[in-house]
Amino acid sequence: MTTATFRLQYSDAIGFVADQGGRGFHLPMSMVIRGDGRIFVVSRSNTQALDIVGIQMVTRGHEFFGQIGGYGQEPGKMIWPTALALDRADNLYLADDYLQRVTIYDRDGAVQSTWGTKGSAAGEFDGPSGLLFDADDNLLMVDHRNHRIQKFTRDGQSLGTWGAYGDGDGQFNLPWGIAQDRQGFLYVADWRNDRIQKFTPDGEFVAKFGASGDGDGQFNRPSGLAVGADGNLYVADWGNQRVQVLDAAGNFLLQLRGEAKLSPWAQEYIAANADESAARATYVPVFDVDTADANEVSARIEPYFWDPVDVVLDDDERVYVLETSRHRFQVYDKV
Amino acid sequence: MPTVHSKQDVALMAHLLRRAGFGATLQELDRCLEQGYEATVEALLSPSAPDAVPEDLIRRYHVDQSDLRNHAAGAAYWIYRMVQTPAPLREKMSLFWHRVFATAATKLIQARMVANQLDMFRDHGMGSFQDLLLRLSRDPAMMMWLDNQDNHKGSINENYGREILELFSMGVGNYTEDDIKECARAFTGWRVVNPDYMSIRMRNNTARPYGYIAWQFEYDDTDHDHDEKTFLGQVGDLNGEDVVAIICRQEATPRFIARHLYHFFVADEVPVPQWPHTAPRDPQAIDLMCQAYFDSNYDISAMLRAMFNADFFKSEAARFARVKSPVEMVVGTLRMAGGLELPSTDTYAAVGVCAAMGQFPMNPPSVEGWQGGSEWINTGAYVQRVNFASRVLSDPGKPGIQAIIGRIRDLANGRGLSAEELVDACLHIVGPLEVPDSTRDGLIEYARSWGDVDFADAASTAQAERTIVALLQLVVTTQEYQMV
Repeated sequence: MTTATFRLQYSDAIGFVADQGGRGFHLPMSMVIRGDGRIFVVSRSNTQALDIVGIQMVTRGHEFFGQIGGYGQEPGKMIWPTALALDRADNLYLADDYLQRVTIYDRDGAVQSTWGTKGSAAGEFDGPSGLLFDADDNLLMVDHRNHRIQKFTRDGQSLGTWGAYGDGDGQFNLPWGIAQDRQGFLYVADWRNDRIQKFTPDGEFVAKFGASGDGDGQFNRPSGLAVGADGNLYVADWGNQRVQVLDAAGNFLLQLRGEAKLSPWAQEYIAANADESAARATYVPVFDVDTADANEVSARIEPYFWDPVDVVLDDDERVYVLETSRHRFQVYDKV
Repeated sequence: MPTVHSKQDVALMAHLLRRAGFGATLQELDRCLEQGYEATVEALLSPSAPDAVPEDLIRRYHVDQSDLRNHAAGAAYWIYRMVQTPAPLREKMSLFWHRVFATAATKLIQARMVANQLDMFRDHGMGSFQDLLLRLSRDPAMMMWLDNQDNHKGSINENYGREILELFSMGVGNYTEDDIKECARAFTGWRVVNPDYMSIRMRNNTARPYGYIAWQFEYDDTDHDHDEKTFLGQVGDLNGEDVVAIICRQEATPRFIARHLYHFFVADEVPVPQWPHTAPRDPQAIDLMCQAYFDSNYDISAMLRAMFNADFFKSEAARFARVKSPVEMVVGTLRMAGGLELPSTDTYAAVGVCAAMGQFPMNPPSVEGWQGGSEWINTGAYVQRVNFASRVLSDPGKPGIQAIIGRIRDLANGRGLSAEELVDACLHIVGPLEVPDSTRDGLIEYARSWGDVDFADAASTAQAERTIVALLQLVVTTQEYQMV
């Protein structure tokens, strides 16, 4: 039996439902942290609130710097954003599932270029859902409806693909996120196979972790993932509404269910609305629920993760968990 | 070699599947004809198949259908379920109860609570009416919709106490104003968890700070009025469970529910407010269903079984006698076309057109629901219907359209089809629809304008597909297609 030699302690929540614009996020899908601490979060939003579709910029200190991009099909805009990644020069790459394209913004947020063609031939893709720059500064894309990983140069020239539809070793069923460890091994969230697969940098199958279920080390549609310096794997176990941490060998270490408190943005809102502030004084956020449905539990218990879609680590190995349906991310410190 | 069924059998089965569901594809119709009418009724009443809706895919692609917060997302999610369900009567009964126990997302703000209520109808809408009424009384959406969080010991709010009697079970004329007050007293202390904060968020229409918080039922005994009450002649320290049990014993209750069932499944009744003063269209039909209710210990399925197997339901006079509701038309057309196996933005378009035709799912106009009937058809709504149906059927690549083309190809059996044969085949597949000669003549003239239909080679097959699609698009504009 493996025992975690560390624990993760809740430290902060950053976010606010920005369905009417302004400071915050709305149905965010992916996040990435730049070396200077700027955090980019991309909001999908819904058809009733299109102004907030874009990439919001914040810091861990709750600063808000507005957003890049917006809803639409023109260069720099987006419809169904899915993933973000930063190259070595801090250019920001955005994947769009609906538009079937990659958009590149420079360090200041100006659109550099877009590329992408829908299809299944080499260099084409269908539903980009995970992005990662590898140690050689090449872009790895989870080409999810083609059930494969594709490697590109930064300007979109295909360097090869691997994977196919199926549940065998090295096969995928609508994969989502991708991460790389310090040794260069790649990890893919094999979403509809409820497992994580490990590969060499060239795409050779190494190992697989997990199976369908909600027990320790089991998954229900894992989405985003990250790898620590020690090789520990942090997985957004999306359908189980939790984050699981596995060791480098794939053994279960611990899980998080979420415990958000009010962010400063949320506190300011509550303080400015006397009736809600008064009613919230008697509010008991965590109570016994009468359902076993994890999604419904998350809908009722505000501090819990609701649709944890992405996990990101910063340089100090803090853990950031992005929650689509709670419009925030929670931060955990390793202790 | 498939069994050949009589024209009458096909027409009757198609009638059942339109009324007890949303119409049938050719394969569904064939399957049901093989098992026979009464066995099909039983299969509809006791569906064993789980819903085929890929929840994970829907939530991944339509992220707004995961939190189910706004009305369009909630309604689009329901459209998926209605189109994809292998248990159409279960979904039709959810639509039925949504109409009777009308609860609107407009006031509740979060569509998720209506979606959860519909889940409850899905699970319990064909079981015991007593169980259903009790679950309704504990349903968080209903609690908030009819203000039961404001119904306190010593300070009642009679909204739910009134409506459970007037609109949900017995109908006006079968109870007194005192019964309403005593009923409300019995439901004191029935509320949602964190009632103050949940109420103020609903009133302020706010998702802030972190999105909506779904509600959960809670019984607060300290806020319940334990003093003696007299309700419909029964005396005691009555609680909500007692009131529901007393209601379900009343003769008026199955009469009221049976009349709703008749109105929804058989033929249009006068609006509910006129029921106390107007006899049912078919009193014997109501009697039959009431008997089934009491014989089965208040079982809704027993009432439905009695209705579907009765002559008044099966008669030719009952067929195509009701105007399809917007949801029936939209869902039926989407089911016929197929292609919603994977998430599609078509579901949002379907919601939009339903709303434009006056039936926004999850948003009934009032606690009295939609009246329906001829109100569904006016010039603007007719144009919406026709445009939607034509658009949905425009893609010959959709699996349902391919199946129709395949059936017509089988009919052709290597030879060409005349315009008359093609029109009759399309009318048969889509209905079977019986149209006036003038309509049929018009369709034949239109089909003829597209040229002969045969499948001799790739070019003529492609032309045949275009002709069939064009003809289907015209068939769904007929007055007969708007009827159910």
